[in-house]
Amino acid sequence: MNELDLAQFDRDGALEEARGGLSRAGFLTAAGAAALLALASDAHAAGISKNDVSVLNYALSLEYLQAAFYTESERSKALKGRAAEAATQVGAVERAHVKAFRALLGRKAIARPRFDFQGVTEDPKKFLKTAVAFEDLAVEAYKGQAPRLQSKQVLAAALGIHTVEARHAAWMRYLNGIVPAASAFDNPRPKKEIDRIVRATGFVAQKPHMTARRRPRYTG
Amino acid sequence: MGRPPKRVTRASLLKHGACAAGVALVGVPALVDAASSPEQDARVLKLLLLVEYTESAFYAEALKRGGLKGELREFAQQVGDHEKAHLSMLKSVVEEAPAEPEHDFGDATQNGDAFADAAARLEDLAVAAYNGQAANVTAEVFVAAARIVSVEARHAAWIRSIAGRDPAPQTTDEPRTEAQVRAGLKDLGVRL
Repeated sequence: MNELDLAQFDRDGALEEARGGLSRAGFLTAAGAAALLALASDAHAAGISKNDVSVLNYALSLEYLQAAFYTESERSKALKGRAAEAATQVGAVERAHVKAFRALLGRKAIARPRFDFQGVTEDPKKFLKTAVAFEDLAVEAYKGQAPRLQSKQVLAAALGIHTVEARHAAWMRYLNGIVPAASAFDNPRPKKEIDRIVRATGFVAQKPHMTARRRPRYTG
Repeated sequence: MGRPPKRVTRASLLKHGACAAGVALVGVPALVDAASSPEQDARVLKLLLLVEYTESAFYAEALKRGGLKGELREFAQQVGDHEKAHLSMLKSVVEEAPAEPEHDFGDATQNGDAFADAAARLEDLAVAAYNGQAANVTAEVFVAAARIVSVEARHAAWIRSIAGRDPAPQTTDEPRTEAQVRAGLKDLGVRL
């Protein structure tokens, strides 16, 4: 069991829920993505501080992880029924988040790292457990970083994503049969701890680096 | 009038564990700008209190009337407890809490389908209310509100899951203004 699993099991008592029926996953609305991108381009035009670039790149690194996780799960075709529908829809949303952050950061965006999910995306039970852990972690990460943002526009965009991650967390918990909202208050988690947990999974196979080209070398 | 503006004290928030998870307030003031002030905080907290009053009253009435079964009753119990905790936290950080508004939730606190529909609207509204105000408040209130808003989002996704609706239909949750939130509360039967 890796540390991501441990972090999750420490917090919820694996409370069994009577399971109701989710009819079908809804469609991702174009309006939501468009609003986010509009916010992104407004903020981009206004210029983003060095501080905010670093916070946004951190958010992007977590969105990369989530997007890759759901996309690979979808492609593995190992999931069935409601879990498969959820993976498809949530994957599309996480990819939209990646796209929005990349648009916002432009050339300052960090590159997508390579991931190795070690078979978790091909096992329905492990998929759900990991999805719960990732989404809860994302909520904690956004909550921890949001107060650091200087631009109010960027902050507003980040907050809109923060609650979508919380919805995803509750959704994945529901599908996994554990209580979707275990406590009256969600706590932030410092970056250092998030990094440690993500590192312990071994899912990030290669560290990201800047997309901006290195200074050309003198070759003459 | 000579009255000092209503203040949210740092101590009162600390008491409630706003920083219990190790988020130091050092560095947080980046968020504060000219638009944020103790007066503005008091106004925002009053609006958020209206939302929490409504949620608390809604679940308490639904449980009292005894019409909910199974999953819906479990949801109402757990979420009702959360809303009470939110209400008491917000009440403790405003100097003077507004009076609880009257309401008529009608069939929504008795009939399962009507309950699920109203609860989903209420929780979605709460998310939009917090998101709409978060950029307007001082750092202290922000940290406290951020701990609540994601729980409201979890509630929204939970009731939508039970009702067979899409738990997270958007890529980003859109904020709503104070006027929109008040109108939404009125639609749900709150007398404002």
